[in-house]
Amino acid sequence: MAVIDFIINSILTQASITIALIAFAGLLLQRKPFGEVMSGSFKTMLGFLVLSAGSSIIVGSLLYFGDIFSEGFGMEGIVPSIEAINGQAMNDLGLANQIALTFLAIFIFNILLARLTRWKYIFLTGQALLWMATMTTVFGSAAGFSGIGLILAGGLVGGIFAVAMPAIAQPIVKKITGTDDIALGHFCTIGYMFAAGIAKITGKNSDSTENIKFPKGLGFLSDTYLSVAIVMVPLYVVTSIFAGAEFGTELSGDVNYIVYAFLQAVQFVVGVYVLLSGVRLLLAEIVPAFRGIALKVVPDAKPALDCPVLFPYAPNAVTAGFITTTIGTVIAMFVLPWFGLAMILPGMLTNFFAGGTAGIFMNAVGGKRGVLIGGIAHGFFITLLPALLVPHFNSLGFVNTTATDVDTVTAGLLFEWLIHPIMNLFA
Amino acid sequence: MLQILVVCGAGLGSSFACQMSVESVLQDIGVKASVDHSDISSAAGTRADIIISGKNFESQFQRYDLPMDLIFLDRLVDKKEIEEKLVPVLKAKGAL
Repeated sequence: MAVIDFIINSILTQASITIALIAFAGLLLQRKPFGEVMSGSFKTMLGFLVLSAGSSIIVGSLLYFGDIFSEGFGMEGIVPSIEAINGQAMNDLGLANQIALTFLAIFIFNILLARLTRWKYIFLTGQALLWMATMTTVFGSAAGFSGIGLILAGGLVGGIFAVAMPAIAQPIVKKITGTDDIALGHFCTIGYMFAAGIAKITGKNSDSTENIKFPKGLGFLSDTYLSVAIVMVPLYVVTSIFAGAEFGTELSGDVNYIVYAFLQAVQFVVGVYVLLSGVRLLLAEIVPAFRGIALKVVPDAKPALDCPVLFPYAPNAVTAGFITTTIGTVIAMFVLPWFGLAMILPGMLTNFFAGGTAGIFMNAVGGKRGVLIGGIAHGFFITLLPALLVPHFNSLGFVNTTATDVDTVTAGLLFEWLIHPIMNLFA
Repeated sequence: MLQILVVCGAGLGSSFACQMSVESVLQDIGVKASVDHSDISSAAGTRADIIISGKNFESQFQRYDLPMDLIFLDRLVDKKEIEEKLVPVLKAKGAL
């Protein structure tokens, strides 16, 4: 008995080990050679621990930023980062095991739904599923679910999103790629459809963005971490100047307070970099295994892939959508506090990937004018939804941050606004 | 062992999808290689023999003077295009 107790209480409570065991089982099922089973399981565990380390770096930087922001501007400035939400939920809220198992449950529900319904999509963007599992777990447990129920509820909601989102985007994706072979698997799709709707109304007969000559110098924007740094550095440095030398020096000690702010901004990017490297290791074994199993069960399924798969079809639209979406998020940053909502700072990772993809969608239906007007509306939209979640995140103990990808936010709101009240009726 | 690296912006989703397509092309033509994926920030520091990326990253790569072969794709997961562009490079390298 003592052995079983030890396994349950000391080993299976460690999420990194649980996740390694999931990978281990998956590799065994695929009848891989023993060496590959071991190295794959170890890599998965390593990935999870690297992800946690990245999360700690992000949280450290955000805590500092929260302090100088409230000192400098007398209000809270929320940094939208689904990576930070995921890291904090796993590390600080102790939900890592549930998130890992929900992630697995979403895979299974995705395969079942693709098999049983007309939505034959297999969602292969692993990190997006991880963000979705994070949100359904956090808000599912806030709604009163626990144990197996939590994992099944989160898996079902996530699984529905995994087939429904590629399905609603497919008509426009077909128009963009000219084929029906691939689909889009990225949980910002509600934002894309909203943006495309606005672009369709406003951009009648407008010329394509691909005929614009962009300066070559804008190429650096496609370097993800660089473009995050370009926004975070001024944000931190300007904020630290507003907070003043006296306050800044309390936090920075022997280092000049402005230099310290600069370094902390870079630390934020380092954290994102480390966390995403961890995610890369974590998914390296899991995604191909899932794909292999899924295609056996649903042979006629279409792969739903990450958004940059669409980028080569309209590179200018990506740049234009990124810029116009960013303008929209900056406007929303100043406007939302008037309505009693939190001040959400522009989240550059999302602005680039979601903004760029929205740019392609908007250009496909509304050309240049559609990208300009639709993009600003899109930026506003993807700031408004996370702002609605801020009070809930604060009450759950998250530090200075909110979620980004609007489909995962919608899943969170679904639990908070609909499922939670229903649960209360039965409680 | 031939090293192939597939690159995208964050090195997570689309490069991974492309990697799986590249691996299945290699299997079809019977070439053994180790394929991995990463983000563009790290790509310049790697020691791969071949780098594969999307057309939209071409201008980024031109800034570096990289010794390895570069392949840029219009359609990241299109096995036909991957095969068309990869086979000549493999032949030049004597891997095929």
